Amino acid sequence: MKLIITDLEDFKASVEGDHKIIQPQGNIQNCIGCFGCWARTPGRCVIHDGYENTGIDMSKCTELIFVSRCCYGSVSPFVKTVQDRAISYIHPDFVMRRGEMHHKRRYDNVILLSAYYYGENITDAEKETARKILEANADNYDGSVKDIYFYKSAEELEGLLI
Amino acid sequence: MKTVLINGSPKVKGSASGTLLEDLKAYLSETEIVEIGFHAGAVAKETTEILNQADALVFAFPLYVDGIPGHLLSCLEELEKTSCKNSSIRVYGIVNCGFYEGIQAETALQVLKNWCEKAGYVWGGGVGVGGGGGLAQMPKTKSGHGPREPIERALKALAETICMSHVQKDQHQQTAENQYVSVAFPRFLYKLAAQMGWRQMMKANGGRARDLGRRPEESKD
Repeated sequence: MKLIITDLEDFKASVEGDHKIIQPQGNIQNCIGCFGCWARTPGRCVIHDGYENTGIDMSKCTELIFVSRCCYGSVSPFVKTVQDRAISYIHPDFVMRRGEMHHKRRYDNVILLSAYYYGENITDAEKETARKILEANADNYDGSVKDIYFYKSAEELEGLLI
Repeated sequence: MKTVLINGSPKVKGSASGTLLEDLKAYLSETEIVEIGFHAGAVAKETTEILNQADALVFAFPLYVDGIPGHLLSCLEELEKTSCKNSSIRVYGIVNCGFYEGIQAETALQVLKNWCEKAGYVWGGGVGVGGGGGLAQMPKTKSGHGPREPIERALKALAETICMSHVQKDQHQQTAENQYVSVAFPRFLYKLAAQMGWRQMMKANGGRARDLGRRPEESKD
């Protein structure tokens, strides 16, 4: 399953195969740093606003795809908040991977990560940051990076087959 | 000289970001300090006015999934819209990282630096603090001693940079370099302490240690 997290309310790209799209539907609350998703209701965020199950969705996907406005080299606040609220995909315990501390796996699936960034003036520095973040995300999810693309506007994504 | 300390943790009280800013404040005794909090995703109009009148802004926040917490990113976007572009305001960042290696905060500091460029501020550099998981609960030790010593040293150097940059405001901008530090506590013990902490928290919440690895289904808890 492909899991797409996008800030586009009107997502028009075509997606090949089995997929789920998480997009803005009502207000999303930000992560409050309570760690309830690790030590109260493991695997699920404790804030019930419709965005509490992303960690579980991630456990069922083979590909995680961000379609997001590029925000200083990061995904946009909406996509980032969905990501922040889904740290329960991983286990709170630490493991060492390639000499660095990361979190242990909760699930067995290996995620391939892609990002489709859009924005009018994405600078070279922002592109470099975006690449590094995606690689760091792959390390932390114990997955790997598939692709990263940059577009000048959300309209350019309309005819795309993801 | 006016320095604004911005706590970007979602926690209003008891955050590691707050602890780090308190430590920094002690080294900035000769400057006027204003403290504000961005604990949710909105910025009050009065706050933007305070920020635009500052000489230096110091953001302290936790590392969230290799970047800036979503709510703080919202605040930065709002601030970009209201910032007086091409100002001489310098921006600094302190990122508290739950992992042991402070270098894992590098990407978050890059995002903040990229924001400076878009908002028209001057990037002054930052500190990536590794092993920040227990900082807020750690007892205060004599300055220069204990597990916080490398962090205190980095914050002292940051405070010096903040003050020096103000004095040399009109001179050629120095290269803003980031510092990456870790708590002075063996890594394997930090890892072990974290594991024990999660088990205690789980038990305090009425669960068992093995529940930490639970794999819930969407339909049921």
